[in-house]
Amino acid sequence: MGTIDIDYGSLGIGLLLMLIPFYFLWRFKTGLLKPILTGTVRMIVQLLLIGVYLRFLFEWNNAFVNFLWVIIMVGVAAETALTRTRLKRTILLVPISIGFLVTVILVGLYFLGFVLKLDNIFSTQYFIPVFGIIMGNMLGVNVMGLNTYYAGLHREQQLYYYLLGNGASRNEAIAPFVRQALIKAFSPGIANMAVTGLVALPGTMIGQILGGSSPHVAIKYQIMIVVITVVASMLSLMITIFLASRKSFDSYGRLLQVHKEEKRR
Amino acid sequence: MLPAPSYFDVMINIKNISVCFGNLTLFKRLDLQVRRGESVCICGGSGSGKTSLLKAILGFVPLSEGTIQVDDITLNPRTADHIRRKIAWIPQELALPTEWISEMVKMPFELKANRETGFDKEQLMEYFTLLGLDRELYGKRVNEVSGGQRQRIMLAVTALLNKPLLIVDEPTSALDPESCLRVIGFFKSLCDKGMTILSVSHDKQFAAGCDKVFIL
Repeated sequence: MGTIDIDYGSLGIGLLLMLIPFYFLWRFKTGLLKPILTGTVRMIVQLLLIGVYLRFLFEWNNAFVNFLWVIIMVGVAAETALTRTRLKRTILLVPISIGFLVTVILVGLYFLGFVLKLDNIFSTQYFIPVFGIIMGNMLGVNVMGLNTYYAGLHREQQLYYYLLGNGASRNEAIAPFVRQALIKAFSPGIANMAVTGLVALPGTMIGQILGGSSPHVAIKYQIMIVVITVVASMLSLMITIFLASRKSFDSYGRLLQVHKEEKRR
Repeated sequence: MLPAPSYFDVMINIKNISVCFGNLTLFKRLDLQVRRGESVCICGGSGSGKTSLLKAILGFVPLSEGTIQVDDITLNPRTADHIRRKIAWIPQELALPTEWISEMVKMPFELKANRETGFDKEQLMEYFTLLGLDRELYGKRVNEVSGGQRQRIMLAVTALLNKPLLIVDEPTSALDPESCLRVIGFFKSLCDKGMTILSVSHDKQFAAGCDKVFIL
């Protein structure tokens, strides 16, 4: 079995379907027409560019180049997290970069080495998609988790100081906020896990089946992809919160200004 | 007039402290000593820095100058956690994000520092009675009790924590005169057991019931 290529003309025909959401967003004056147009154009351009550099990565099939790609992706992910959380660069950049890099290497290489038992664990065919999917999931969970964690600390400062003032260690005082962050960041994923295969067929599995794999193989890959993305998201969030917390409080445990200053209008 | 306290009698020793926020000086070169087993009420106008003084003792407000000692330990970043383990603290208008009173009262006992003391529901109920609280409040939702009841519930919790020092901000702000008298009596019984109490209050009746009043 092989995959049927989509030529650019057919791709254009397929994209015509987007006129339906464009129309309704315009018709009901949602204000989302411009964002969806921009989003669609960006998606197409970004994916075409990724197609170009992935072609080179596959041609070179070089461990050093692949690792360089991982480091660049970690940098891009960290920058994206900084923008989406509005946290100060001094607070978040190093923690989230370390959290992402350590996690993606540990979990990614564990999967490639111990589960897939590859002779060459740096083989681009496996290394790039696996590391890519781990990083994509980590980013979303970390942004959600960090936003919840710091929003909670700001909103419920009284709770934080009440616990600290009644003898809590620093870790005990932040525990309720870490708990809130975990609940908020992982609830959607856990709910999705429970209905995987019933309500929706997951993307990795569909991709593999379209690529010619048997459903039997695709299912096993899908199970492992869910496992490694959940594990990596958890590990990276915990590392990031732990490291970011060291910079979010002063030596007495007082919460510092962690968000970027709003520009006055 | 009480004789000058000896070194070992002093629970809180504040020497020459100043607290400033930017260009605003809340208070300058303040000295205060609180003896063990004494209840001291800090009074003063709004914005005079009463709450900031309490928070400074807890290490929550930075000092511009001076030193604070609690139980003979000088407050600094290395000792702050150790000092806080000796303290029970109730901030003004405490509103914890819990649904049930039973959860709210147990919260400080889940901390490692307070696990040895342990949560004793029967003892808590005795404190409820002393403070004029109905035992049934324990099973109610937080939003079903009044502000005054919540204040007294938290006072009962701090008594159960049995720490050497209680720091409390406006303990009677939502109480009627009769309940205020109960709190005064309750504080006296805690001081008799050796607890030191430092409070901030606008309530003249409450202040008059304390051993000392310090005007800021």
